Amino acid sequence: MKKLFKQVLVLGLALTMILSLAACSGKTETEKEVNTAEETVTEAAKPSEQVTLRFSFDQGVGEPTQKIVDQFNASQDKIKVETVLLPQDANVVHDDFVNKLATGDTSIDIMGLDVVYIAEFASAGWLADLGQYFDSDVTDTMIKGTVDAATYDGKLVAMPWFTNSSVLFYRKDVIDQLGAAVPTTYKGWMELADKAVGINGIEYGADFQASQSEALVCNWVEYVWNHGGDILDSNGKPVINSAQNVAATTTMKTLVDKYAPEGVTTYSETESEQVFKEGKCLFIRDWSGFWSSGQGEDSKVTGLIGATTLPIGEGGTDPHSCLGGLDLVVNNSISDTQKEAAAEFIRYMVSAETQKNMTLISSQPPVVKDVYKDADILKEIPFYADFFSVIEGGKSRPQSPKYAKVSDAIQRYIHQALTGEIEVQKALDDLQAEVEELSK
Amino acid sequence: MSDSANPLSDIKLKEAIMGKKMKKHNSMISTEARDAWLMMAPALIILLIVAVYPIIRSFWLSLHEMILTDPGSGYPFIGLKNYIKIFQDRKAVNSIIFTLKFTITTVSLELLIGFAAALIMNKAFRGKGLVRAAILIPWAIPTTVSALMWKFIYNDQYGLFNDVLYRLGVIDSYKAWLSTSDGSFMALVITDVWKTAPYMALLILAGLQMVSESLYESAKIDGAGVVKRFYYITLPMVKNTVIVALLFRTLDAFRVFDLISVMTGGANKTESIAIYSYKNLMKFLDFGYGSALAVLIFIVVFIISLIYMKVLGDKLTDMEG
Repeated sequence: MKKLFKQVLVLGLALTMILSLAACSGKTETEKEVNTAEETVTEAAKPSEQVTLRFSFDQGVGEPTQKIVDQFNASQDKIKVETVLLPQDANVVHDDFVNKLATGDTSIDIMGLDVVYIAEFASAGWLADLGQYFDSDVTDTMIKGTVDAATYDGKLVAMPWFTNSSVLFYRKDVIDQLGAAVPTTYKGWMELADKAVGINGIEYGADFQASQSEALVCNWVEYVWNHGGDILDSNGKPVINSAQNVAATTTMKTLVDKYAPEGVTTYSETESEQVFKEGKCLFIRDWSGFWSSGQGEDSKVTGLIGATTLPIGEGGTDPHSCLGGLDLVVNNSISDTQKEAAAEFIRYMVSAETQKNMTLISSQPPVVKDVYKDADILKEIPFYADFFSVIEGGKSRPQSPKYAKVSDAIQRYIHQALTGEIEVQKALDDLQAEVEELSK
Repeated sequence: MSDSANPLSDIKLKEAIMGKKMKKHNSMISTEARDAWLMMAPALIILLIVAVYPIIRSFWLSLHEMILTDPGSGYPFIGLKNYIKIFQDRKAVNSIIFTLKFTITTVSLELLIGFAAALIMNKAFRGKGLVRAAILIPWAIPTTVSALMWKFIYNDQYGLFNDVLYRLGVIDSYKAWLSTSDGSFMALVITDVWKTAPYMALLILAGLQMVSESLYESAKIDGAGVVKRFYYITLPMVKNTVIVALLFRTLDAFRVFDLISVMTGGANKTESIAIYSYKNLMKFLDFGYGSALAVLIFIVVFIISLIYMKVLGDKLTDMEG
């Protein structure tokens, strides 16, 4: 009996050591405790008259943002903003914010949050309503798609900070050599690709991101919009297995099967960019930042790239790109004084002047429309002249409190359709059924 | 005086002395045990806080409906409903099947390769030390790093894997290995075996070195061949080491996460139960169901361990023996 007890004890201890990793939610618990400890420290360290705000965002925009924050702190003495940097990994940032907000932690006041999580965070009641602090003259200066993405249930729960959208980058040299015009339809690009293979090292007609990831969702919704389809109708009901969406997915599959590199269904941004930079592809659909990163020293296509809007397919009217970017959100658990101060800081961050400065030092596309037409900006980033028309047509991904599940379902079914595991029609029917189930 | 004393009292006296000694001995054991507990206490307390508490907490959460994006529900207690849901959820069942398939395949391959490597390393040859150190390298590289490295090796444009097979004439054009479900499974298994077979090899090597050379010599004199010597001496002698190694590897393989997360992200039917559990917890913010899946992993791993313990008998834990 004693021996058995001992055995179980030893086994139990060994297992708990090994398994502490498996208990994911458990880890959350311990982090929570650490956070509350931090909170009391900052609370105590605050000077009485000055409001101290803590602003958390990812390292990707760390340096330029720090500069802007320093400028803000120097410009007035009522509010002091401290920065809390997180790693440049969307998942880590998301999980960190979730851990804090889910426990009502107030150690963070303002966050730089990826636009796709706005609906999820808002539905959990974690985001302060910014509508009371800002009237429409602030949001009217911004690109419409970005404001739509910051609105949940009719409330402005976030403030667009900077945006991003996909662009179709193509090989100017190849098109010139063929003496062709830049196509505006998928069909046009396919016809051009048939002729282009073999010219200047072109092996593939198309290049994009179709690995089972969020990037696939961005790519796919663009095909859907540009074929006149949609994911959810205006009432939030799923309309996934429509004829337009079947046509859209079929177009995408044709590109995967006949025009793109064989491994395109395993490509995220990095892999697809590599093939294009090697000079093997006629065009690539990628985020706007590729305009500069794609023409660096390691690229064989420097100076040979043109940029245009995404093509449209049958049934499509205007080309739409998928919007990305970060919004500024305010923790709903903090006091009203803190919230007011946070709104003040946000007002500074989205003023045309700050947006212009931020764009110049970070080359992140701004949300304020006028900045794209600013002479200094155009001198520094001439690409914005072409880019503005692309981003103006930008749309945000479907908004749903269950976006993570919707996205996961899209990723699974569309990926299976593209790899040929299931028929396009069946994939969309199944996807429709699953999203319907989620919307209940 | 003593000589004339009756023998009975003499025995009594002896018994008394003996009894005292025994008592002293017993109390020494109990003091030792008490000291041992005292000294282990800090470690035990830390374990209770950082490991046992989260596990119990996970179990508690798994009995609730707790979807963070739906705070209106009030997170009610729903008993075992989350566990019932696992078996009605096709994705969960598929991920369990995949994980079992992955565990069995990788662990058996690792055992074969690890055992072979250990046998080779156990022989005396020049540069033995170097080989033993070198074989550890794959195991020392963090999984995420080796997964990224292998992902590039399987790349359809520049991958080494394609290059080697192409030169050998096995394939006539470069293939996208991670784009099909068979290809992905193969790629994951190769990577995992590459990474952890050395670990198996080292553990088995340690066992092999305990086998006395004289056993083989006498067997040779008795006329036993290589196969017989392996079967009757090596195998029984290293059996326990092998089972311990298998236990560790099975537990690890069943919880596979980072390798798959980096290489396929769960695409092409390669979603392991750990990935599915993480997705439910941190992506879908369904803490109740996610915790139930995490607890399920715990239970399965516990059962696997019990089976191995049974095979191993008392040897792992029986200190007196």
